[in-house]
Amino acid sequence: MKFTRRDLLIWSAGAAAGLVVSPVPWKLLDDTSIWSQNWPWIPQPVHAPIEVKQTLCALCPKSCGLKVRMAAGWPVGIAGSSTHPVSAGALCPLAFAAHQLNWHPQRLRVVKRKGNASSWNEARAAFSKAAGEGPILIIDGFPGRSASSVLEQFAQKKRGTYRVTFVPETRALVPYETWTGAAAQALTYDLQNAQTVVSFGAPLLDGWGIPGNFTRAWSERAAGIADPQLRLIQIEPSLSRTAAKAWQWLPIRAESDAALAAGLARVLLEERLVAAHGPMPTLSLADASYQTGLPADSIRDLARAIVARTPAVAIAPDYSPAIAALNVVLGAVGSRGGILARSKNAQPQAPAEQVISSARAVLIDATVPWDFTPQTDAEIFRFAAWNPGQTNADWLLPAPGFLEDLTDFPTAPTSPIETYAVAPALLKPTVEVHSAAEFLCGLDPELTRVEKLIHSHCAELFRARTGSLCGQQAALVPSFASVQKFEEQLWQGAVWAGDPPKPKVLRCTLKEWPNSPPQTPADDWLSSWGLPVQPPLASKLYQESGLRESVERRMA
Amino acid sequence: MSARYGMVIDLDRCTGCGSCMMACAAENNVPPLPQATARTGLTPLLVRKISNKKEGAARREAFIPIMCMHCEHETPCVRVCPQQAVEVDRATGIVMQMPQRCLGCRYCMTACPYHARYFNWWDPAWPAGMEKSLNPGVAVRMRGVVEKCNLCHARYHSAKEKAAAAGRREIDLADYVPACVEACPTSAIRFGNLADKNDPVYREANSPDAFRLLARLGTEPKVYFKSKEAWVKALAEPTFTGKTEVKHG
Repeated sequence: MKFTRRDLLIWSAGAAAGLVVSPVPWKLLDDTSIWSQNWPWIPQPVHAPIEVKQTLCALCPKSCGLKVRMAAGWPVGIAGSSTHPVSAGALCPLAFAAHQLNWHPQRLRVVKRKGNASSWNEARAAFSKAAGEGPILIIDGFPGRSASSVLEQFAQKKRGTYRVTFVPETRALVPYETWTGAAAQALTYDLQNAQTVVSFGAPLLDGWGIPGNFTRAWSERAAGIADPQLRLIQIEPSLSRTAAKAWQWLPIRAESDAALAAGLARVLLEERLVAAHGPMPTLSLADASYQTGLPADSIRDLARAIVARTPAVAIAPDYSPAIAALNVVLGAVGSRGGILARSKNAQPQAPAEQVISSARAVLIDATVPWDFTPQTDAEIFRFAAWNPGQTNADWLLPAPGFLEDLTDFPTAPTSPIETYAVAPALLKPTVEVHSAAEFLCGLDPELTRVEKLIHSHCAELFRARTGSLCGQQAALVPSFASVQKFEEQLWQGAVWAGDPPKPKVLRCTLKEWPNSPPQTPADDWLSSWGLPVQPPLASKLYQESGLRESVERRMA
Repeated sequence: MSARYGMVIDLDRCTGCGSCMMACAAENNVPPLPQATARTGLTPLLVRKISNKKEGAARREAFIPIMCMHCEHETPCVRVCPQQAVEVDRATGIVMQMPQRCLGCRYCMTACPYHARYFNWWDPAWPAGMEKSLNPGVAVRMRGVVEKCNLCHARYHSAKEKAAAAGRREIDLADYVPACVEACPTSAIRFGNLADKNDPVYREANSPDAFRLLARLGTEPKVYFKSKEAWVKALAEPTFTGKTEVKHG
């Protein structure tokens, strides 16, 4: 058979038509799409089996329970640990992207002296020299840890001073420390049993206390219910997130919280709405009305609303003796639904705001919030995992980042129960970093190391045989056969929880109505986020949603 | 038996913390593009603030998480896609977006009544080393494709694998929890099978306080909202009486 030119054309046309109706072009189009998604410059996740580890978040003293998903030794996802006795699965928004922080562009990777690269040896030599020349001051942002004991030991040995910075929630409890003798760190609010919570601008639904502790109670007892079991009254000038969701929002003039507290106390005492537990304020109701911008009748109505459902407790966003005195008048100190002391008392500690001016050197631990700047001429050695610039520190020393350091966690501020937990380092740092405690142990080998202190603390808890261990399965401490088994569980992310505090009399010696400094509370939980940076994903989402101002912008 | 996975979001419980938004982006390997703006960014789940537009003490505000509503009937994005890059999975009811098939025409973005779809304007990029923190269960998408919430489909696959390993055909719903649901500290976002009358989410979706956004369009979204506040419910069906000026560019 002869194959003609016409046959060739017919065959070619048929082949072209056949190709069009065949899946080949569509398959090619599909494959092109797939190939073009796999360009070498497009990052791809590592493919490895997922391992879930229980640990705690060390980014702020609230130490929420974490479930970290690890692949090939790297954290690839964070979720709340539902077995944690206080945070119970809730986290602050930033924690969900905290595993990105170690690669933040502003990660501090080398020792810096006045902005120039230096070395650890030079830093050690400079600090040793300074410590030999005069008194030193060590500032800790997360007291009660084993690392804190190392810092305190060093300060004592060198006849230096150890000071702490408190989160605003603890600072709000400081007035009771003066009046009752119980340390502010050992006090807590019994919000689970409160019927009325009066917040003077405290961001109760926006990161105040331990995320998930109050917000869960609020969502179960108050949200969307016209006549809730828990009445949240928010008093502040602007409509914050907490005010938006409160049972009642009362706008008052800025910095007039103390006047309103005094006005409320006056009404409560004059109208005998409460038994007289405290002194009569000197401020008259008319003056309180003038200062707050609220009519006197509104203050009276508010006072009646507060005592209509008891127990009632007032919460200050920061240090405020007048709001604390209102709690004394309400009889909320030491009673159910008010302010309770946890069973274990702590030693009151001096705040870092009272800086010793004669110090030759100041060492600041990485846990101290970045915006804390000591006003001193001393040489400042600051440990930090991130460096956004803007610091008066002479030395910047790279500290371990997220999940890179072995640490333990004492009871978090405002936690209703006592807790203790251990978080081993889950990641190996990619650059040379040292914690302040490790740095000091390097200078003085006689100091007890953090790991040893953690072992002895675990042994102490085991010997006390109280409380329970909250892990995959909750178990009472006496049920453990040996300290090794008990400690093994703690190192795997279980949390020791003490018994809930019982109301006990806290004798208040408040003779006169106190003066309160005016305060401008922070809007939300970012005030207690001590880091100068936030996960890049958070910056992006806040920028695009307009939901919040990013930490970087706020710092600027 | 095919499921109809859906959500009920209790707006009275939502405090606008943004944990859901953050957990969603981290789970789905959304890149932290610093050059993105509110118009060009990627937010598969976006928490918006709404108010009753009153002033002073009478003003009230609420927060509303907006994501793909997984419309069931005449799904607008499915109907306009020329590439079959969007389809409703009959086994789950999830509206699936397949970036491999997407050619980036953005018809679906125009068609979506909820503005819940986003276009990838840039190649995904992370600061050096941060790619180690990517979720292995979710592929990174290239630029030039549209993306949206797919109810954490990777988690659904994991639940399927777990069920298969245990010799079961049906998944255990406890194994399939989307990231936003897991992250919500007030349990405002609830997830479940709307086809199962015994599922608490079915009951909540049928409660008198439940409503859907733009229900009058008849697309049968599978994301329900809940509120006792009348002004919040009223915003679900907005009506425009005046002229609205639209600025382009």
